[in-house]
Amino acid sequence: MVAQFLRLKLTLFANSFRRSPWQVIGLILSITYGAATAVFVVGGLLALRFFDVELAGSAVVMLGAVVFLGFTLLPLTLGIDDTLDPRRFALFGIPTSRLAANLAIAALVSVPAAVIVAIALGQIATWSRGALPTLVSIGSAVLIVATAVLSARITTSVASFLLATRRARDVSGIAGIVLLVGLAPVVILLAGVDWNRYGLTVLASVAEVVIWTPLGAAWGAPATAALGDGQAAGAQLAIAVGWVGILWLVWRALVGRMLTTPQRQAHAKSYAGLGWFDVFPRTPTGAIAARSLTYWFRDSRYNTSLLVIPLIPVFMVIALVIGGLPLQQLALLPVPVMCLFLGWAVHNDVAFDNTAIWLHLSTSTLGRADRWGRAVPVLVVGVPLVLIGSFVSAWIFGDLAVVASLIGVSTCILFSGLGLSSVMSAMFPYPAVRPGDSPFAQPQGTGSPAGPIQAISFFTIVLLALPALVAGAMGLIYSPLWHFVALGYGVVVGLVVLLVGLSWGGRVYDRRTSELLAFAMRN
Amino acid sequence: MESESDGRKPTAPRKPAAPRKPAATKKPAVVKKPTTPRKPAPRQRGAVPPRPTLSPAPPREVVLRVTGLVKRFEDTTAVAGIDLEILAGSFFGIVGPNGAGKTTTLSMITGLLRPDSGTIEVHGADVWSDPVRAKRKLGVLPDRLRLFDRLTGAQLLYYSGILHGLDPTTVRTRSADLAAAFGLQDALDRLVTDYSAGMTKKLALAASMIHSPRLLVLDEPFESVDPVSSANIIDILQKYVAAGGTVVISSHTMNLIQRVCDSVAVIVNGAVLAQGTMDDVRAGKSLEERFVELAGGRKAAEGMEWLHSFSD
Repeated sequence: MVAQFLRLKLTLFANSFRRSPWQVIGLILSITYGAATAVFVVGGLLALRFFDVELAGSAVVMLGAVVFLGFTLLPLTLGIDDTLDPRRFALFGIPTSRLAANLAIAALVSVPAAVIVAIALGQIATWSRGALPTLVSIGSAVLIVATAVLSARITTSVASFLLATRRARDVSGIAGIVLLVGLAPVVILLAGVDWNRYGLTVLASVAEVVIWTPLGAAWGAPATAALGDGQAAGAQLAIAVGWVGILWLVWRALVGRMLTTPQRQAHAKSYAGLGWFDVFPRTPTGAIAARSLTYWFRDSRYNTSLLVIPLIPVFMVIALVIGGLPLQQLALLPVPVMCLFLGWAVHNDVAFDNTAIWLHLSTSTLGRADRWGRAVPVLVVGVPLVLIGSFVSAWIFGDLAVVASLIGVSTCILFSGLGLSSVMSAMFPYPAVRPGDSPFAQPQGTGSPAGPIQAISFFTIVLLALPALVAGAMGLIYSPLWHFVALGYGVVVGLVVLLVGLSWGGRVYDRRTSELLAFAMRN
Repeated sequence: MESESDGRKPTAPRKPAAPRKPAATKKPAVVKKPTTPRKPAPRQRGAVPPRPTLSPAPPREVVLRVTGLVKRFEDTTAVAGIDLEILAGSFFGIVGPNGAGKTTTLSMITGLLRPDSGTIEVHGADVWSDPVRAKRKLGVLPDRLRLFDRLTGAQLLYYSGILHGLDPTTVRTRSADLAAAFGLQDALDRLVTDYSAGMTKKLALAASMIHSPRLLVLDEPFESVDPVSSANIIDILQKYVAAGGTVVISSHTMNLIQRVCDSVAVIVNGAVLAQGTMDDVRAGKSLEERFVELAGGRKAAEGMEWLHSFSD
């Protein structure tokens, strides 16, 4: 049965690459993040092999404590989509202990588990200085992996158990993203600290306490053994073993509990009035715009985009700053990048409606109304972004002349992106995450392939804006007059592509509405 | 599947194509008229004034005419040539076993699924070539299709009304009326995604009526709706029919169909096996017995003896 669970987990992992672009991007980011963390930490552990035992001991203990904390706390925000939720197996009648064990073992197939295994092996290398420490560290490695995986399993289940309401689900993903972004600068800071010179004494004294807690015991035992204190090392190992035992009992009890407890009932929130529907004109176009804007704020599939889009330039800027580029010039980057993703974000908008699109079909809603309505939220967010963002960027950059270029390039990217998306979403929808679904229920892709469509829409936008970009660059290098070329080109081309895209998209939509519904029904 | 010619085997007297004009659908129409006496006379006089081109002679005009409807999905034929004529003011039931093609047929009738061949006319307007005019006369409750469920109930009703081209004031008053009629007042400010299945059904039903259509096509309207609410809904629908509206519903709850519908069509394997007034089709039995008979009879439950020796 263990083999079955492992195979299931592997299949799930492989399938997770067939999801929507944001999810695949997220997955690739998480793997990169995991791999980077593993390389960073294991590198550190290998280096510590050549430091004296006391220093290496405190470092490993502190690092280990942070790792354990991460495994315990991160799932509370990130682990909501638990693919191996014990409740999914409730109907198979597997004995609780066996189910709990199988799920824990299957949890070894995951990015975080791979990272912790690498780290556990790394710490064996750190302590390969004599028979006893090596032996103890091998024991520790097993305990470390067990502790981390069980902690993560427990908090993941607690999170999905207690935060099972729709609203909690909608919010938790966002909280996770924010947390990740918060962590990035910390990691960068930590990497920059000169550990040889500062904080060693503080570190050592904190480590002395932590080593006797479940957070540090497994990590510290080999160090204690290396110092020659076999008894203390044994005691620490005992603490670690005891902790794993406690975690196992908690996990087993939790599984038992989850199998027999019904889902928590959501407390539905009340929204008075018609919201955006009162703000927009009372026409089909206005109603669709209001509906669309409501979804941007209420549907987690949309507001994840809203949240990720400002973060992409943040990550790019951080990466480039580390790479040594001056912050001043990077100030020009965020606005166009955000516009790019904003315009691109709606290129599969119809598929997001899923079969709810039947309402538009049965009311014979015009393509024009549909296209404009869907474009409005992007314009509502995008146009102020371009205007205000360009001035702020130019101010940080220190030369107001670049405002013209920034507005030109950003407008071109935003408008032509929106125009292209209007056509693409009517012409080539591809399967999207269903409304309100967890990724587990992701439909298998049928119909048009997602990858090429994403790539084509993305790069066509870039291509259309390229002349404006070049003109902007000329403005920076040669003469500020070029900035106005960028402005003129950007605004004219952007507007033309937007208007042509909206009306072409509207015609395509009119022709294909029933095909769009048929497509949605297949997925 | 079966071919169109032998598709309608058991109920021999069914040859709707041939007689066509005079009170077409009802088969021995002359005989059967009296079974629904209360309805036709007063109703169509009051509520159906213009009576366009179609039917000059017969007492009731045809509000939905379906001819030669065919739909294939890859290698299976879901709908194999269905003809239907539904008169104004009838409460028409479509029954059939699972997978008989009821939902496919209704989807094509309501303009949601493109037929491979055949025509559908709603009160003289072709659903697929003149959709704007046809769909204005048509209220739709699809089965298993989503709603824009991140809207509140009030927003969804408003959205449907505006998309149907109503003016905002009308939408508001009608939303309030519908909410009261379907018992949804307390739920209007909540997100549809937080509704129960029955509530969602009721809201969708309310939304299908907001533009006061001439014809309501409701696919499984009573599924997961509680008995009190369905009695309520039946009440609303019967008043609508009494005022000259036409209702087409599908269901596999035979008792309910027998109770509320005055005409019925039995669809099996994508073909109409029997069609006519309720009493004609029943032929003296209950609709359920007749249906089981038409649909190929019961399967004797054999070969599952292991189910009777329990595993623990």
